[in-house]
Amino acid sequence: MKILTQKKTSIDEVVETLKKGGLVIMPTETLYGAFVDATNPKAVKKLTQYKNRPFGKPYSVAVTTQKMAEKYVELNETAKNLYKTFLPGPMTIVSKGRHNVANGVESETGSLGIRIPDYKLVTDIVKKLGKPLTATSANASYKARPYKVLDILGNISEKQKKLIDLIIDSGELPHNEPSTVIDTILDASVVLRQGKIKLKGKNEVLSKSEENTQNIGKELWQKYEKYYGKRAIVFALEGPMGAGKTQFTKGLARAMGINDEVVSPTYNLEEEYDKGKLLHIDAWRMLSDSEFVELDFAKKITDKSIISIEWADKVSDEIRKYSEEAIVVWIKIIYLSRRSKTKKGGDNERLISWETI
Amino acid sequence: MGNNIKILAIDTSCDETAAAVTEKNRVLSNIIWSQASMHAKWGGVYPSLAKRAHQERIDWVINKALGTSHQSLVTDVDAIAVTVGPGLAIALEVGINYAKELSKKYNKPLITVNHVEGHLLSPLTSSNTKDQRLKTNVFPSLAFVASGSTTQLILVKKIGDYKILATTVDDALGEALDKAARMLGLGYPGGAVLEKMARLAAKRARDGSPNSYPLPIPMMGKEDRLQFSYSGLKTAMYKLVESQKPLNSDEIENLSETFQDRAFQHAEKLIKKILNKYSIRELYFGGGVSANINLRKRIRKICKQNNIKLRLPYSKKLCTDNAVMIGVAAFYKFKRNIFLKPEQTVLVERFPRAKVDEKFPWE
Repeated sequence: MKILTQKKTSIDEVVETLKKGGLVIMPTETLYGAFVDATNPKAVKKLTQYKNRPFGKPYSVAVTTQKMAEKYVELNETAKNLYKTFLPGPMTIVSKGRHNVANGVESETGSLGIRIPDYKLVTDIVKKLGKPLTATSANASYKARPYKVLDILGNISEKQKKLIDLIIDSGELPHNEPSTVIDTILDASVVLRQGKIKLKGKNEVLSKSEENTQNIGKELWQKYEKYYGKRAIVFALEGPMGAGKTQFTKGLARAMGINDEVVSPTYNLEEEYDKGKLLHIDAWRMLSDSEFVELDFAKKITDKSIISIEWADKVSDEIRKYSEEAIVVWIKIIYLSRRSKTKKGGDNERLISWETI
Repeated sequence: MGNNIKILAIDTSCDETAAAVTEKNRVLSNIIWSQASMHAKWGGVYPSLAKRAHQERIDWVINKALGTSHQSLVTDVDAIAVTVGPGLAIALEVGINYAKELSKKYNKPLITVNHVEGHLLSPLTSSNTKDQRLKTNVFPSLAFVASGSTTQLILVKKIGDYKILATTVDDALGEALDKAARMLGLGYPGGAVLEKMARLAAKRARDGSPNSYPLPIPMMGKEDRLQFSYSGLKTAMYKLVESQKPLNSDEIENLSETFQDRAFQHAEKLIKKILNKYSIRELYFGGGVSANINLRKRIRKICKQNNIKLRLPYSKKLCTDNAVMIGVAAFYKFKRNIFLKPEQTVLVERFPRAKVDEKFPWE
């Protein structure tokens, strides 16, 4: 283990150490970090040993530009916007990895966190090395955040010390918070490959309030109630955030004589009311069709259930499979007020259209 | 076993597979397998293939919980506890079946627990052997449980005797925060990021750059109904964000702060309403949102004004879903002799819409 002050450090020496699979501890804009070449499996193993943490916990990596990042992750719109708005800076942006780093750097689901540090020493080294560095704090797991070299050395074993090849000491760092982690993976699953549902001979109605939207739920129940017990009835709801998908389901439930409080099923993925008389599914935070399938959707159809599905457009292909076996009513809700910088909030009007598909 | 009962607790109510070993109200181990913990620090839940994922992880999680607590075998604990609701049916089932099997195989009593009661009692969890928290609590108390799936104010007449005073009629508070973050392009789960952004805006406001966006406080003037509602605020936020796009970093931070402020003011108003109506001695605050520092500050202030004691989970790890709180809630139930003998466990089934103020049919 070699300790250098920042002034005496030559970038070349650090890069050489990293190239040989070395473990380097150096300052960043947030705290002291432990760095290895993220594409070198041996070096990553060494780091995991040093950090004393279970294999399988992912590391973020530091790159210098968005272009470099795109070699290692797939950036969706959300991620690109975040890069533009916040990087370089103390932010880690998690995207779908391209598996171009050593094993154990990406998470078990294949996601990878990217940092573009706002700290010249680190970016200079990454640039020269031409490879991403793991960016993890230099403390062993579960130990205090390291703002000075003593915070690190005072908290690790001799064995761990031996794993360090080089330390760059720039004294005590300002006590900044660790980077903010933003996970953009879910947005990747706003699934474009799902077939879009187009409503042709559509029925339309204007809603001006939550009560209006609830009433439409009620009316549609009255319209399709005749199939109750004969076939499954699916109310597939599509519309932006806050459009009234839960309100529609409230009206539906009331018309069915259900007294349970209808709430957003986003977190639980599914709610059942009145002992399963009405099932209420939410696909908002589902990453793939298979999660929807796992909810035993096929069985629900055979059981002739009544099902309301929020964010149905995310699983439209799955739902469409049952359009003959079940009555599938597709309901689209859109806001009517136009986008404008001057207009505040706008009125509360929505257009609700529906059709059986 | 006396009063020092050791419990192996299991929770598979939603995405996280969690197991813990507790002794009285003390943590011996706390194991959570969650996708979210991999990257995000707290908050939010990650979707997963619920049933299969729980089945794959549960063995590992339980063994790890036993190992970490130095109880290498199930025979070393005195009882098994499990969450039976509320939650996702197919996920709950995995934990329940496992717990029933353990109960029968090792001849241990089974304690069934409501997940919300777990959050409610999480502030009574202790990290050391001195049980001060147990001895000093006084009733009636008010519990505020706020997470991604629950937003409730609950009257605690005593431990085990509850009455839900207010609940959400649409979105949960944690869900609303996550969705606001998503609207601002801050990924998912974004509640914690939103908090951080809001903090930056608040700091700028203190430096003389105030921030004002026209977002409504939910249910203004309708506090008497004692209902939480976040759907209207969500709609207003969606429209506001759409009309302001594209957003720069200052705007994202300011919008985060405004949204958080309105969402929290709504909760504050309801809490104050209830404190005026009931003579409350202590306030318990649990659930994932209780890790939010800004909301803690607001609630602490209310408690101070009303001269009541605020109780929070001692660690943020106990705010989000965990099995320690299930073990703690089970401990209090065991003390009240509410448990099942192994041969009675056939009665137990999942209860996806269980309410904290209603008994399970088998109790």
